[in-house]
Amino acid sequence: MIEARGVVKRFGTVEILRGIDLSVSRGEVACLIGPSGGGKSTFLRCLNGLERFQEGRVTIGPDVLDARQSPREHAKAARRACLRTGMVFQSFNLFAHRTVLENVIEAPVHVLGMKRDEAVERARGLLDRVGMLHRLDARPRELSGGQQQRVAIARALAMGPEVMLFDEPTSALDPKTTAEVLAVMADLARDGQTMLVVTHAMGFARKAATMIHVFGDGLVVESGPPDQIFGAPAHDATRSLLAESRVA
Amino acid sequence: MGEDPAASESDASHEVAGRRGRAGLVGALLLLALAATARADALDEVRARGTLRYGSDMEGGAPYAFPDPDSPRSVAGFEVDIMDRLARALGEGVRAEFSQGPWDRLLGVLDSGRVDVVVNGYEWTPERAEDYLATRPYYIYQLQLMGPKGTPAGSWDDLGRPKPDGSPWTVAVLTASAADDFAHDSDAGAVRVVRFDGATDAMLAVQNGQCDFTLQDGPAAAHYAGAFPGLRAVGPPVSRGYYVIYARRSDHALRDALDAAIGRLAASGELRRILEKHGVWNDLQAGLATDFQGPIEVPTTRRAARGWGLVPHYGDRLRAAALVTLGLSFGSMPLAMAIGLMVAIGRMYGPAPLRLALAAYVELIRGTPLMLQLYVLFFVLKLDPWVAGIAGLAINYSAYEAEIYRAGLQAVPRGQMEAALALGMSRGQALRRVVVPQAARIVIPPVSNDFIALFKDTSVCSVITLVELTKEYSILANGTRAVVEFATATAAIYLAMSLPLSWFARWAERRLGAEGTKGGLA
Repeated sequence: MIEARGVVKRFGTVEILRGIDLSVSRGEVACLIGPSGGGKSTFLRCLNGLERFQEGRVTIGPDVLDARQSPREHAKAARRACLRTGMVFQSFNLFAHRTVLENVIEAPVHVLGMKRDEAVERARGLLDRVGMLHRLDARPRELSGGQQQRVAIARALAMGPEVMLFDEPTSALDPKTTAEVLAVMADLARDGQTMLVVTHAMGFARKAATMIHVFGDGLVVESGPPDQIFGAPAHDATRSLLAESRVA
Repeated sequence: MGEDPAASESDASHEVAGRRGRAGLVGALLLLALAATARADALDEVRARGTLRYGSDMEGGAPYAFPDPDSPRSVAGFEVDIMDRLARALGEGVRAEFSQGPWDRLLGVLDSGRVDVVVNGYEWTPERAEDYLATRPYYIYQLQLMGPKGTPAGSWDDLGRPKPDGSPWTVAVLTASAADDFAHDSDAGAVRVVRFDGATDAMLAVQNGQCDFTLQDGPAAAHYAGAFPGLRAVGPPVSRGYYVIYARRSDHALRDALDAAIGRLAASGELRRILEKHGVWNDLQAGLATDFQGPIEVPTTRRAARGWGLVPHYGDRLRAAALVTLGLSFGSMPLAMAIGLMVAIGRMYGPAPLRLALAAYVELIRGTPLMLQLYVLFFVLKLDPWVAGIAGLAINYSAYEAEIYRAGLQAVPRGQMEAALALGMSRGQALRRVVVPQAARIVIPPVSNDFIALFKDTSVCSVITLVELTKEYSILANGTRAVVEFATATAAIYLAMSLPLSWFARWAERRLGAEGTKGGLA
């Protein structure tokens, strides 16, 4: 489904990603864990073209993002990648001038050309699923963070993405609302949604993930199923990471 | 209005009684003034100071008073020479001192006390003679019609019939000048008066083919003929009036001294030598020495039309001018906003060469005066005044709007654009549907602020002959001397037009504002 080969990303002279190889198969729930500043979020943003990278290539289904593409080619490829993926941001990024319902139907109507009635019908179903059907007419700033993030998940799902990309979806939330959002994500995972989740929520990773990738210093230092990573971590970076999360 | 042929003939007989009466009044007033404030007549101040300060405008002022071509820091002209002689006549060692001011506001400068007299081709009119003291004339002017070479008309009277295509002739004049009054009052239904802020602007417009004719004071027409080779005098001069020196109402002694000095200058032939030196002497001027024994008499019947009653009397003209202001504002601001938005988006999201070009556009337009931009559109590109006015204002304000929008777009969090792109929107869609609507709310206060500023900036369009509210105020206040009344009325009209705008802006802000509202924003 997703295949990244040798992805290198630099900001100026600083190398954030130093050659990432990583693949996600259909139906897989992959979690990217690792210390802050390890390049997890940047890598995720390279997958749908929000960031360009200097070396390597990413394939999403039949679409290819390549470091050697011209800006125009990259923009086109990025748009196709965005249509195959849904993204959930750490800071939600709901459209501030739209209501909950409008946020969810915006892209289906204006990007996919769906009829408004049909889009509203689907949106209601998705909002019901994330437990936000009762706030259809609310504006984002009237909602709690957890509520906003659940709407953001519904908004991404409304485009019927093949893969959902989660960029630290609970890092800006308190424990109670974190639990609400993680419950929605766990529900999606059970349904077989292909997901790639950058997270610090180890409990969720352990329970919901089918595969864990540990990032450290711009590289994937260790990959494996949760039992292996949590039960028998092979790499020092993984061990210290797990130790820290236990203390916290 | 400046024309009053009967006055000079009747002057002689009434003059003696008139002056004696005034002399008595002067005496009474003088005593009163000495007793109350000890304020002396300006004549005493002039003598004590050793300078006679006269208000004049050297802009387009040849041959009256203009920058001396031989010594650009000083001023030359037949009025300058006359004032030099007159100042000397006031007392030992008194010199004349030129004081620059805008032509149509020189009487206001006189009121303020910064000059002692005004002399700059100011024709005698009954209205001015009521508020100020006038001397006898130092020049008898006529108006000269000027047209392009090969014009079909042979004289002013030919303008009584419309053009072959039935439309009226357009006649360019200096605003509030004698030519303005004459062309406006003459019963020529086939003439449309087009007002300019400078005599030479009017000539340029005719040479450009933007107006059919220009009506000019004789001296100006003669002097500038060489500078506008495309123009020629059409027919004999028309009308007749008198250039006089105006002093404040309280300064009888100064006026009388100047008046007597002009009389001596005319009688001795020195006035003729000055006028001949500047090439403005003609047979008509012989009357200066023979027809006047003192100031022109002020007719008493004129006193009726004064004060606040004038405002409703000229209500139609104010209303028409207000409509021009509204038309210019509402014609240009939407364009300015549209252009500004495109410039701002281009500067933020366009390719590098476009960004550079648009930045240069903004700096060029912001960095040059609106008046100059209007000049280029009107006199160089020769656009219709309305087109030039709306385009000029729109272009000028678009640069300011662009910067406001850029600030507004930058104030929308990056995440909004990223979220839109991640949902598969194109950059254009993301801007149109997500970023711009949110920026719009942010920029409402500064944009409405600019709109109100533009309302008042439309007054600059008077340089391209559009008579909007400020220009009409200037014309009416100048013609009637009811300055306070018309200034108040004009300010009230501006306020009445801009207040609803402020209210609308606040309403729009509330409506677009996402501050906890649930409005049905589509």
